[in-house]
Amino acid sequence: MKKSSRLVKRFFLYFVVIIFLVLFLFPVYIMVTSAFKADVSMFDLPPKWLFKPSVQNFRNLFSTFDILLYLRNSVVATLSSTGISLFLGSLAGYGLARGRIARKENIAFWMISTRMTPLVGVMLPLYLIFRSIRLIGTLQSLVVCYTAFNLPLAIWLMRCFFEEVPKDVEEAAMVDGCNKLQVFVKIALPLVLPGLLATGVLCFIFSWNDYALAVVFTSGKTQTLAVACARLMTEYGIVWGQVMTMGVFLVLPVIALGLAARRYLVEGLTFGALK
Amino acid sequence: MSGFFKGLSGGEDMGFRNVELWMVLPAICVLVFISVYPFVFTIRLSFMDYPMIVTRNPIFTGFKNWIRMFSDVKTRQYWMVTLKYAVGALSLEMVLGFIVALLLSKLRFLQDLFTALMTVPLFFAPVLVGLLGRFLFHESYGIYTYFLRQVGLLRGVPSIFGYGPAAFFALICLDVWEWTPLVVIILLAGLKSLPQEIFEAAQVDGITTLQEVWYLTLPLLKRVILVALLVRTMDVIKYFDHILVTTRGGPADATKTISVAVYDQAFQAYQMGYAATLTVSALVVTMVLAQLFVRFVTGRSME
Repeated sequence: MKKSSRLVKRFFLYFVVIIFLVLFLFPVYIMVTSAFKADVSMFDLPPKWLFKPSVQNFRNLFSTFDILLYLRNSVVATLSSTGISLFLGSLAGYGLARGRIARKENIAFWMISTRMTPLVGVMLPLYLIFRSIRLIGTLQSLVVCYTAFNLPLAIWLMRCFFEEVPKDVEEAAMVDGCNKLQVFVKIALPLVLPGLLATGVLCFIFSWNDYALAVVFTSGKTQTLAVACARLMTEYGIVWGQVMTMGVFLVLPVIALGLAARRYLVEGLTFGALK
Repeated sequence: MSGFFKGLSGGEDMGFRNVELWMVLPAICVLVFISVYPFVFTIRLSFMDYPMIVTRNPIFTGFKNWIRMFSDVKTRQYWMVTLKYAVGALSLEMVLGFIVALLLSKLRFLQDLFTALMTVPLFFAPVLVGLLGRFLFHESYGIYTYFLRQVGLLRGVPSIFGYGPAAFFALICLDVWEWTPLVVIILLAGLKSLPQEIFEAAQVDGITTLQEVWYLTLPLLKRVILVALLVRTMDVIKYFDHILVTTRGGPADATKTISVAVYDQAFQAYQMGYAATLTVSALVVTMVLAQLFVRFVTGRSME
């Protein structure tokens, strides 16, 4: 009796979890299936659960729409900002973790509050500054915007990761004749490599997924994938099939990277407050 | 100049020997240009009229923008919308997130797979969430509109994004869809780190599941819940992409949060000075939240 009631309980538990999963994955399902539906059938209500997949949307996207250009722009802007943030961020993170630097908590506080700044807080001043030096419409301006958010995050997170490295490992290397920079490159950095990669993933996700900044700072040939995706809403209507297909392109790399780094996701997303 | 560096380095060894300081400096220099200077620029801008025509010079107008902000009923409305949005979205996300995390933590098999599947919406670009929302809540072919009409809701509402309360509700749904997974993974990490012995002891004493959640799990999870809540609160002010591509703050400003209002003032009405004033007010709120975060959550203190 007791055993069977526990079994029922467990079955019920899985049942409820699966219901939640269905609810949360339903929009994903709609997006992916719509991408593979030929034009009109995606508007059927109730939707056809069984249909013949078509790649018409993908073909349209590549033939009428310069998707590779936007893809390139997104990749360039995202990777540049991520690279700069990781390079400067790991240096500074190590410095803050190990150094005796006056006011370092104040510096750290500035880092974390920059990261929390609303997008408009960076967008507005940088727009006017860049306009006066004619940098609006370039990918460089976008890279600066992303770095303004990513670098503080990278510094803060790398500092948390470096603080977890036991000091005696580094001290032992110092005794063996390494100087501080060698310790950083040869000992500390390899030890925090997973953390470094996870930080990179978070920087990547932020820049890749951004729309609000990109729509202000880029135009025409420098637009990113997210902006191009939203631009498919034209005044004549929305080309939904292509929006959904673009959506798949937009979200796939992020899901891949995010899931790969998911062991560190919580620590990264909570600024290292949770391990 | 050397006095400046002496001041920055904590005393003991100075100049080139303080390698850590030299490691921090490049990042600091970059941030001064792309973060500190823009911040000062925004504050200065809030005391100016900044015409969009490049040839005209900006003029100082003293407290004009500030007086306008504090006397304008609209400002209060933007903050009210922001507050209502935050309270609505966050309370749903926290409750749902807690329930899902609790359920996931009890799974013996497939826990990893289900958690991974649950996090998928988190990776969607907010703009894509907005676009999907437009499709799913569309007046004629939106499947959610269809369901809502089937159960008899939405009587006399021709379009969801055209009717204030419905648009507000739809945006909250989108927010909940995208960000509940974040709360789930944060709380799940917290749940997994709780000491199991306490729960085992309580079970021996014959505690019911509800009692366990109320008297053990929730109190033990307090700090983690606070982390999730603060992280989400900051993001609510931060992101507005999904509002931009759905309602743009409309209809009749029903969904215009403070961020959308700033965007509107700056890039629609070209009132850069006033937009800066609104931005500063939003920055003050973020600073307070950041302060709370550092004080109560990270366990670091300002010297």
